[in-house]
Formats: sequence, structure tokens, C-alpha cells
Amino acid sequence: MHLPLRVGNLRLRLTIWYGTAFAVLLLLHIGVATLVHYRQLLDQEFYAEIQEVETAEGLLFRTPDGLVSMNESYFNRPQARRSLDRLLEVLAPDGRILYQNNKLKGIALGGSPMPDEGNGTYNRRRLRLSDGRRVVLVSHSHWLDGQLIIMRLAYDEAPIFASVTRFLGVLILLAPFTVLFGAWVVFRVTERALSPLNTMVLRAEQITAERLDERLPVSDPSDELGHAARVFNRLFQRLEDSFSQLKRFTADASHELRTPLASLRSIGEVSLQNSHSGQEYREVIASMLEEVGRLSHLVESLLFISRSGSGQIPLTLSTFSCLELVQEVADLVGILAEEKHQTIRVTGRAEVMVRADRGILRQAILNITDNAIKYSPNSTEILVEVDVSEEMAKISITDQGQGISAEERSLVFNRFYRTDEGRSRASGGAGLGLSIAKWAVEIHSGSIGVLPGSSGGSCFFVFLPLNHGL
Amino acid sequence: MQILIVEDERKFACVLQQGLEEEGYAVTVVSSGEEALRRIESGVAPDLVLLDVMLPKRNGISTLRELRRNGFSAPVLLLTALDSVADRVLGLDVGADDYMVKPFAFPELLARVRARLRRPSANEQSVLDFAGLHMDLAGRKATRDGVALDLTSREFDLLEYLVLNRGRVASREMLIRDVWRETLRYTSLDNVIDVQVARLRRKIDDPFQNKLLRTVRGVGFVLREE
Repeated sequence: MHLPLRVGNLRLRLTIWYGTAFAVLLLLHIGVATLVHYRQLLDQEFYAEIQEVETAEGLLFRTPDGLVSMNESYFNRPQARRSLDRLLEVLAPDGRILYQNNKLKGIALGGSPMPDEGNGTYNRRRLRLSDGRRVVLVSHSHWLDGQLIIMRLAYDEAPIFASVTRFLGVLILLAPFTVLFGAWVVFRVTERALSPLNTMVLRAEQITAERLDERLPVSDPSDELGHAARVFNRLFQRLEDSFSQLKRFTADASHELRTPLASLRSIGEVSLQNSHSGQEYREVIASMLEEVGRLSHLVESLLFISRSGSGQIPLTLSTFSCLELVQEVADLVGILAEEKHQTIRVTGRAEVMVRADRGILRQAILNITDNAIKYSPNSTEILVEVDVSEEMAKISITDQGQGISAEERSLVFNRFYRTDEGRSRASGGAGLGLSIAKWAVEIHSGSIGVLPGSSGGSCFFVFLPLNHGL
Repeated sequence: MQILIVEDERKFACVLQQGLEEEGYAVTVVSSGEEALRRIESGVAPDLVLLDVMLPKRNGISTLRELRRNGFSAPVLLLTALDSVADRVLGLDVGADDYMVKPFAFPELLARVRARLRRPSANEQSVLDFAGLHMDLAGRKATRDGVALDLTSREFDLLEYLVLNRGRVASREMLIRDVWRETLRYTSLDNVIDVQVARLRRKIDDPFQNKLLRTVRGVGFVLREE
């Protein structure tokens, strides 16, 4: 029972594929989200710093020594606690440091001024101080008591970084659970989805040559598995059909082969019971040879049928006139008709051309005509007509025999079918002639059939595609 | 005339040997391709070889190829139960002169052997004579004991064939192939032949005392003077 296991493997593979893809996507997602979050925090910091610059400007004042100082006693603002951490530096445009707050601990905040730094706008920069701290810095220039000063205000990035790291940590920590949960869901869903497949596999294992009538269950006709089940069921149907056809053929063929074999055996055994004259033995041997001839012919026909059934007969196509072909056949078997005082009348249009394997088609017409002669009483007429009907070449062979009953009409083209068991074997047929004719016509995309004739008897007709390259 | 039969089916080989010996040929039977090659290489060259295709170990096709490679030029007839077109073509390609599908009629085999061993005749006959029968092949007229026979074209062909093969049985297969020139293999035209022969007999035998055209039941027909 390794087949269901393979279904399990499929499930596992699906789940692993899904889990991997999901994990990669999730990580990408987390990365992008973290980045966006980080950028947003930086922006917030920047705008908060601009506010503070505005506030701090009002707190600066010039000291008598030409430097700048700040009124640090002003702490009753909402952001007061935060402002404890702020770094502040005031520069003259020539780079002279006018003021540094004590949080800077004497470290330069950004060095000498850039041209036009903070002129009429707020410059934003991120830089690393000499003590290793990363800061977000805003500079703005304005006039203080008639002197242009550049104010630089910065905050350490560390809290932002810590916040982003925490955010990332939580997401990363949750990711495996999310992926596992997703994979579990997929695993369960595929189990449900593939369960009909398991049933199908189990059932298919039970279908053998002896039990070809079994079919796969169709769980849901609209989904892919239901479709597959229906396709397989049609396959089994075809298999069953050809299998039963083969069985029937084998049974019929062995029956047909047994009959001459039985005669052969009896003739030999009976003649050896007593001693006979040389002439009598000659008769016995001749009689056995006749049976052998029948047997050989039968084997030839059976081989032909089995080859034609498996498409092993190559066709040699040529273009020819139907009328010529039927005339030829009529000439060949005409002598048989003459013996029974029958007439074969061939009429029709000589310009009706078909493209086919002449030899094989000739065989078909010959078999039908031969039958017509065999099954028609003496002194009747057999009419062979060539015509065009519904864009097809039509060859009809009408006899004035006893006709074929309606229920037999569908059977006469079956292999080994004979309308009258005893009589037909006496006239030498194994019931294969018409089935060979049917094959010969159908392999040329034609059709064959039989209808009651207008004046009693039967009318066999053959339709073949016209050759339009006239 | 020496004929070598290469056939592993003992019973079949014996019957062929008997039949051919009764026709006056000297026949040797071997049962394998190797044996046939050894025999021919040792200098005992037959005038004709009947070679079975389905032989144990080295098959007929390979044996024939080896024979032709060694410069053996006498006619070779392949005997086989394989009758697909591809098999025939393969057989003729490797140098077979003819190809007979089992089961075949013995008269047919005889006719083919004769045809292969016949020395090319200097001039085609234009007149045939046999037991009072006279056939003018050019004018297509026939008489028996001076009485003109009114024969149809097909009857004339049939008689000509039987006269040419007088004393030998012609099977229905031979007649279908050589007189009717039909290649149909899956429809029995035996009825047609029987009727045609009966008609010919009515014309050439019925008005006369001596009957010439005889039916060998189960085998075929023969023109023979008693």
C-alpha cells in the first residue's frame, strides 16, 4: 500500500512549499514595515525638533562677553522632560561657538557651518558625534539682538532605534507561529482536498481485467479531481469495450477454427478405422485438404482483421473512378452470376472519383457483390449503381433476394455474423466478408449500411468522400 | 538438380523432401543455418535453397546474408510464417529470390522451384500442342482434333496456362495469381475458378472421348492425358 503514502508526500511537499513561500514573504513584509516605521519615527523627531527650535529661540539671550546663553529655568512645557536630553549649540556664521549646553559635554555638534546653513529654513541632518552617539540634528539661523546666529538642536537616535528594535523583535518572534499556523491550515486543507484521490487510488487498485466494470467515485464533478475521475472512467469504459470485444472475437474465432479442425480429425479417425483402397484414401486426403484450405483461409482473414483493428495495414492511396472499380468487380464475379442466370447491371456516372486504397476498396465491393450473388435466387437482377449523394460518392448494390430483417440489419456487419448458420457455411463464408468491407470503407472515412431494396431484397450502400481534385 | 532444405520442423522438412524427390530432385535436409553454411562452404553447392526464416539461433535472414556475403549465387526461396510487407521486403533485400508464406500449396512451391531452376528459353513459343489440342498464341485461336474451340479471353488464358504446365497440378492460388492476376488475399475466389474451369471443361472435354482437364480434389487442376 505505498500509493496512499505518495499522496501523503504530495501533501507534505505542498505544505513545505507553501510554508517556505509564506515565511519568505512574511520576512520581506516585516523588513519593509520596520523600515517604514523607522522613517516615520525620524520624521516625527524632526518635526518635534523644529518646534523646540522655535521655543529655544525665545530663551536665548546675549551675555556681555559677546557669547550667548540660555534661560534654562523654563521647564513648564509639556515636552519639558524630553528637553532635558536635548543637545543645543549656537554658532556665529564664522564658526565661532557662542553657546553649548552641558549635555554636549564639550563635543562639537556638527563642526563648522555649511554655507547658508539654516537660512530661512530648517536643515535636517543625521550625524555621528565624536563620542559615537548618532543624532538627528536641525539647524536654523536667525537674528539675535542684531547678530546672525546659527542654532543647532539635536536628539540622540538611541531611543528611536530601541523602539524600532522592539517593534522588529515582536514581529520576528511572532513570525514562526504565523508560518506554522499557515502550514498547518494548508496541511489540513490539502488533506481534505486530496481525500477523493485516496479513495480513487484504492478503488483503481481493485479494477482488474476481470472487474473492468468497476468505476472510480466522482466526489465533485466540477473540480479537477472529479474531472480526472470522469476522464479515467471514460478510459475504463473504452478498455472494457475493447476488452469485451477481444473476448468475443477470441471466442468466435476459436469456434470458427474448431469446426474445420473437428472435421479434419473425424475424417482422419474414421478413415483409419478400416482399411480402404488407394482410391478411397485419395478421397479422404482430398477431403482433408479441403478442410485445410478452409482453415488457412480463415486464419488469413483473422490475421487481416487483427491487423486492420490495430492499424497495421498501410494504405496505398490513388485516385480512380468508382464506376471502373465496380465494373471490374462485376466482370470478376460475373461468371458466378451467370451460373445462376442472374444479371449484374452496372450503371452510374463515370466521373465520380474517389481517393482511396484501390485494392482494399475493391475487396469491400467484391465482398458485397459476392454476397448479393450468393443470397439471391436464380434469374434475378443485381443492380450496381454509382452516384453522388450529399457531397459523397455513393455506391449501391441492390439485389432481389429474400432481404434482411430489420433486427438483423444492424448485425450483418459484425464479425462472424451469418444470417442463416447452416446455409452460409455451406456457401463457404465465415461471416467475415461484410465486417472486412465495413472496415475497408470506414478507414477511408466512409460509411456502409444496408436498407431494404425497393423491390424486395436488400440494398447495400457505401458512401465515400469525393475526390475534389477533379 | 540439388536442392538444400534448411528447416528445423522435422515433419515439414520430410514432407517437402518426399514431394521434391518424387518430382526428380535430389534433396538434402539440414535443420540449422550453421549447418547449411558449413555444408555450402565445404563445397557441396546446391542448385537451389529452401530456407526457413524462423530457425533456432541463427535465423534465415542472417544465414542468407552470410551466404550471399560468401559469394553464394544460387537461387534461395524463403519459407516463413511471417507475411507482413516489411518481412517480405527485408527478405528480398538480403538477397532472397522468392518468398513463400506458410501454409502454402505444394504445387505452388513446385512451380516456383521450377521457375527458378528453369534455364531461360531461347525463343518464346507461339504455338502450343498437347494431345490433339492446338493453340495459336498469336492469333489466340484454339482447336482440338481440328475442331475450333470458341473460348473467351479468360478461358484461353486458363487453357494456355494449363497446357504450359501440362502434367502438373495447378492450385487455385496459382491460377488466381497467374491467370486472373489478382492480388486479393482475404476473399476466396475459389467459386469463380471452379465455375470457370467447369466451363472450360464443357468446351474442351465434353464433346470428346478423351478427357484431359482433371480436378485433383483438394489441390487443384491438371491437364493430363491418360
